[in-house]
Amino acid sequence: MIELRGLTRHFRVGDQTVRALQDVSLTIPDGDYLALMGPSGSGKSTLLHLLGCLDRPTGGSYVLDGHEVGTLPEGELAQIRSRKIGFVFQFFHLVPRLTAAGNVELPMILAGIRPSERRARVAKALAAVGLTDRASHRPDQLSGGQRQRVAIARATVMGPSILLADEPTGNLDRASGKEIIELIERMNRDGLTVVVVTHDPEVGGRARRILKLVDGLIVSDGGTA
Amino acid sequence: MRLIDLIRLALGAVTGHRLRSALTMLGIAIGIASVILLTSIGEGIRVYVLSEFTQFGTNIIAVNPGKSDTSGGNPTAMAGTIRKLTIEDAEALRRIPQVEASMPVAFGNARVEYGERGRSVLVYGVTSDVPRVWKFGVRHGRFLPEVDPRHGSPLVALGIKLKREVFGEANALGERVRIGGRPFRVIGVMEPKGQFLNLDLDDTAFIPVAEAMTLFNRDDLIEIDVAYRSAAARDLVAEEVRRILQDRHQGEEDFTITTQESMLATLDRIIGVVTKAVGAIGGISLVVGAIGILTMMWISVNESTAEIGLLRALGARRGQVMAFFLLQAALLATAGGALGILAGVGIARSLQVLLPRLPVSTPMHYVLAALVLSFAVGLLSGALPARRAAGLDPIEALRAE
Amino acid sequence: MSGLDLLRFASMALRGHRLRTILTLLGMSIGVGAVILLTALGEGARAYVTNEFMALGSNLLIVLPGKTETTGNAPILGGTTRPLTLEDCEAILRRGRRVRRLAPLSVGSARVGYGEKRREVTVLGSTPDLLPVRRLEVGIGRFLPEVEIDRGAPVAVIGRTVQQELFGSENPLGRPIRIGDWRFRVVGVLAEKGQSLGLNMDDVVIVPVASSMRLFNQASLFRILIEVGAHSEIDAARLDVLDILKERHEGEEDVTILTQDSVLGAFNRILGALTLALAGIAAVSLSVAGIGIMNVMLVSVSERTPEVGLLKALGATPRRILQVFLVEAVLLSTAGGLLGLLVGYLGSAVLSQAFPAMQTHPPTWAVVAAIVVSLAAGALFGVLPARRAARLDPVIALAGR
Repeated sequence: MIELRGLTRHFRVGDQTVRALQDVSLTIPDGDYLALMGPSGSGKSTLLHLLGCLDRPTGGSYVLDGHEVGTLPEGELAQIRSRKIGFVFQFFHLVPRLTAAGNVELPMILAGIRPSERRARVAKALAAVGLTDRASHRPDQLSGGQRQRVAIARATVMGPSILLADEPTGNLDRASGKEIIELIERMNRDGLTVVVVTHDPEVGGRARRILKLVDGLIVSDGGTA
Repeated sequence: MRLIDLIRLALGAVTGHRLRSALTMLGIAIGIASVILLTSIGEGIRVYVLSEFTQFGTNIIAVNPGKSDTSGGNPTAMAGTIRKLTIEDAEALRRIPQVEASMPVAFGNARVEYGERGRSVLVYGVTSDVPRVWKFGVRHGRFLPEVDPRHGSPLVALGIKLKREVFGEANALGERVRIGGRPFRVIGVMEPKGQFLNLDLDDTAFIPVAEAMTLFNRDDLIEIDVAYRSAAARDLVAEEVRRILQDRHQGEEDFTITTQESMLATLDRIIGVVTKAVGAIGGISLVVGAIGILTMMWISVNESTAEIGLLRALGARRGQVMAFFLLQAALLATAGGALGILAGVGIARSLQVLLPRLPVSTPMHYVLAALVLSFAVGLLSGALPARRAAGLDPIEALRAE
Repeated sequence: MSGLDLLRFASMALRGHRLRTILTLLGMSIGVGAVILLTALGEGARAYVTNEFMALGSNLLIVLPGKTETTGNAPILGGTTRPLTLEDCEAILRRGRRVRRLAPLSVGSARVGYGEKRREVTVLGSTPDLLPVRRLEVGIGRFLPEVEIDRGAPVAVIGRTVQQELFGSENPLGRPIRIGDWRFRVVGVLAEKGQSLGLNMDDVVIVPVASSMRLFNQASLFRILIEVGAHSEIDAARLDVLDILKERHEGEEDVTILTQDSVLGAFNRILGALTLALAGIAAVSLSVAGIGIMNVMLVSVSERTPEVGLLKALGATPRRILQVFLVEAVLLSTAGGLLGLLVGYLGSAVLSQAFPAMQTHPPTWAVVAAIVVSLAAGALFGVLPARRAARLDPVIALAGR
């Protein structure tokens, strides 16, 4: 469960201040399926990064599962990213020299989990995305859709509370994109909170809740597109 | 993160670019190889020189006339001082407890003749103590008899090479030779001893010290060698020698006492310093190799920017990112170092085959030191790039693709 | 594409990745710079020692008692059966046609005292001709008087340090000093000179040779210094003296006669070997730097694959591509080499300031070699990456990664 109160994010560029996000207040209950939409520069990516603890707010508060995380030191933010948050990117960001299984294993290696435990969880995560038979393939041997599925497996293997997807279909053809969205929705139905950043109204329209941002402010927060 | 996983990750990153990593390793390997090679030669020389000295036995104190201001200097290189060491001085030292022998020594160049043949050699005036004090025994016959050193008898023991030159294969024992024009009877032939630095010890003759002093027209000694029983007694004996001689010389300390160990220590130190200096010069290429690691790691960090962003997004701490790149550098350097050690030792050994007179020695602690050195070089060269990697902003990094 | 355009293209490419270029330059310059500095030091040392010898004049013969196989290896002194005597000196003076001047030399170590003060000094025994032969100068008073060579006289000439230590500000001329148990009168003080061929001429006392030989009870001279008329005659003069002494020594060639050339020759041989070793180390560092260049160029080629594809699409031949990358590598290595030269020159200048006695300048051959070798290294180590770039398929290259 996420609570944002008066969240702001300012950047200094030279001697100018860019207000990427201004006074955003928001509650995301567990299991929600949220789409963040808006023109470029509206702050939707900034909001996503803040939600994912990849960035720190300039002001306001961010309470995740009952704990204030906006002011935590970097080391603890890293812990949260490891255990509570799963990222999916537009350009997949798979490590080219690792196999699909190796990529899925990566977050667990960082967290210091034992090899036997890792093996079991990798198998489960790959099965959940339907890529058990591609476990030892490298990314350059996989299609775009398959790569994104590996990315989703990686994002969920640590059992996070929330899945953050930044334009997950942006680099895929229509058919693969549809598959990916359906996969994400299935995970949401199984209880995973999902926030998707997208500029594609078809993708955004499928979410249960749509947040529109313009110039760093929420202009609408509603149920349909 | 478990250490073994970190190592595997780093290894994976390094082997990802095979040629690049190989070349980087090669640079370090060459650097380490030259350091190992040069220090092996230096160490070989040190061991050789020390063993040459210790072949005379280590529990010896040498007393020379005159005071030299640097320890280990050889005052007899200068002709003549007005200080005199006498046979009586040597006798006085014999009474010191723990002393096994006190041997007066005189020497000079003289011609040894037998019939038509003759040879100009170094002639030592000594006493019967030589076999005991200098660990130098007789092969045929016997050495000089134990008599009052103040009186000599015209007897001589020949070094084995001298014997062969003058007598050939014929028997020498009992024959009469002329040394410096005076008659001597051969009573023994020494066992082979070899060279001591530049001196051929087999090309010498040993006569009683009193005879030598008459021969060379001297009334004083060049040296007194005092042999003592156990190594622990060294300082005590040296102090006693100093006290007794000072007493006998009207309170003047006009002589120099050199213990074998101080001489060895000085030599050891000198050779050690030279070896280190030479090794350091060889280390220039190691420095160049380290810069190579720095350069390649920097390039690697730049290329891996997106990957670094990903790792951070997955929950890696800054320290973990830094360790990841540091370890890559360390792995490259240590692997290169191991290769370099093999190459260096290999070259050193083959040099020894080609030039048998060149002594070479690579003690185990050099090898370990070289490994540690390469590891350290890796850490040092990798530090800057690793810090840069750890400091990258993850959001910016992820955008770089 | 003109040569100038090639150079410009290459330098722009290098400036594109500033840090990488700087690091590679650094590696190359360290290797070259260190070696330039070391050879400069070696040359400085050689010039210094040569000057010392030259200061003595190239017309000098030095006679030593005893035969040595190699020059510069002083024989053991003690008594020889055929000493170098004052009569030998007279014979050489009488019969040596090319001999201009002669100074016998006897050396010893003694305590010299004036009043309460005492000092351990080196005592030299010689004749008045020592002054010109050894290029000495009198500070105050005069040098040794002209006396019969085999008769001594109780007069002494002291060095500056001896004067300061024993007399302070008092005028030493005419004052009595004690050498050992004997009394001498100071007739002169040497001008300040410092070290000259191993002897500190400020810390000596010079007396007539016959006096010193009596003082130290020596039968033989330490050396005989002979000044020859002209440098061209030196080898002939050497044979002359050798003949004279051989005749006087019953046909035995039991002396060693050194010429400045022979001593310098030995010294130059050692220095030559050292320079060779340095060249070896230089080669090693340069290869490591070269490997670094090859590595960086390989990365550069793989990064600029699209650029190469574009160039080829625009009509560049494989040969042109090869040139482009080769020039880049050569530019990199030569710039590094020049930088290293600069470092070497700077270092030499600093050393020359710090030690003005030994002028350190990089020798011309080393400078030329450094430039040529860095050029060659760039060409050699740039070939592989350049060929890779030349062989890229333009279609694949343009497709990007």
